[in-house]
Amino acid sequence: MNNGCRVDTDRFDKSDRERVGADEFGRSISKVAVGQICERLGFYSANDSALEALADIVIRYVKDLGKTAKFYANVANRTECNVFDVIQGLEDLGSSVGYPGGSEGCSSVLASGVMKEVMEYVEGVEEVPFAQPVARFPIVRSRRLTPSFVQMGETPEFKHVPDWLPAFPDPHTYVYSPVWNERTSDPRSDKVELARQRRKAESSLLSLTKRLLSSGSAVTSTVEAANGGKKTRFLALTDVQTVTHSAEGEKAVFETELNPVVMRGKHVNDSNTENHVSILETFTPVIEAINGRVSESGENGERDFLDKRPSVRLNFNNGRKMIGDSLDLRLWNRGTGRISSWFGRDDVMDDKKRRAEYILRQSMENPLDLPQL
Amino acid sequence: MNHNQQSNEVRHDDENALSDFLASLTDYTPTIPDELVEHYLAKSGFQCPDVRLTRLVAVAAQKFVSDIAIDALQHCKARQAAVVRDKKDKQQRDKRLIMNMEDLSKALQEVIITL
Repeated sequence: MNNGCRVDTDRFDKSDRERVGADEFGRSISKVAVGQICERLGFYSANDSALEALADIVIRYVKDLGKTAKFYANVANRTECNVFDVIQGLEDLGSSVGYPGGSEGCSSVLASGVMKEVMEYVEGVEEVPFAQPVARFPIVRSRRLTPSFVQMGETPEFKHVPDWLPAFPDPHTYVYSPVWNERTSDPRSDKVELARQRRKAESSLLSLTKRLLSSGSAVTSTVEAANGGKKTRFLALTDVQTVTHSAEGEKAVFETELNPVVMRGKHVNDSNTENHVSILETFTPVIEAINGRVSESGENGERDFLDKRPSVRLNFNNGRKMIGDSLDLRLWNRGTGRISSWFGRDDVMDDKKRRAEYILRQSMENPLDLPQL
Repeated sequence: MNHNQQSNEVRHDDENALSDFLASLTDYTPTIPDELVEHYLAKSGFQCPDVRLTRLVAVAAQKFVSDIAIDALQHCKARQAAVVRDKKDKQQRDKRLIMNMEDLSKALQEVIITL
């Protein structure tokens, strides 16, 4: 007989199946055992509910028998049960059904009718062991006990505590110790710091390109590539830093984030004077726009053209349309205006504005050297 | 005296029978596994290191269950006989016996367990 052959196969959905009772293992084993018994008797299959009921009955019976036997043992001043206790329990449980010799009362346990029935049963029925090997259950997990004072080699601090008791936990587990001052995260200062770092990076980049230019080498587009990521900012206020180069006739357009450009008008090379003027013209509106500028990336700052040489324009991609259509600074100004309406972080912008102006003033007044970038 | 001797002999026989039976239990493997019985006996407070006693309990439980199952089987057969009586072909009688809840409850009523 297939125990799993259930006539009513309304199997539950997965959530029910996952809910397992505490005694599920024992119940399923007894279900299998009961199924085996029924099969041997001649049943082809059994309803699932009937099988479960019978398994439940078996468990109850075993429990009751154990309880009764224990009771009899306790009554006889014993803790461990005897065969006679078990026989007495059997007689108790069987008294409702009836067994030969029940009416006479318990004259002699040895001559118990129940025992005789059981013996006859054992001799009569064929032996059918359980289908699968069953492990001992429930599995007892060995716990790691807390060592006692003696085992730890400690003496308890209090006199009333004997040393064979488990030791106290270490004081660091429960004593409050002062915590370091957490760095208060100030988003504003974080932004300022971020902007400062970016400015540093950009200024060093700029100085690098200037050095390259001054050495006469062609400027590559690596700078452009490095700044490519910045173009994807949603504000897209990529200001174009036009690096002009007239010496070799090559043209490349650098696009970096240039916010705002601080023009060092005084420190211009003589050879590129004519370009210088144009650069000045180019960047004056930029400088003016600093005052009204709102920047998400917080780079308002100080792009210092601290180099003495003028910027060089190198046009790499003539035909391709660049984001550098934002060369049109009007567009840029428009963008600025737009963005200023988006953000209401006035205090941050004021701070940045102030910084920008301050830096502008500084660059105009002091000749800053290259290393100071 | 005679009576006493006779009763003594009877007792000896009983004792022998019991001890033989318990000895035979060590060889016999009941269908209900020992581990299961031990678990539930331990749950109810039954404490005994002897395996023969657990086997005895297992055998007793097995007997109990088989008694109920036999009653249910008889109910099932009686039901089938009542149904198939009007059929022409007796060979068509369904030989497959399935234990139902109804048969089981009928059988259990005799053991005074109401489901």
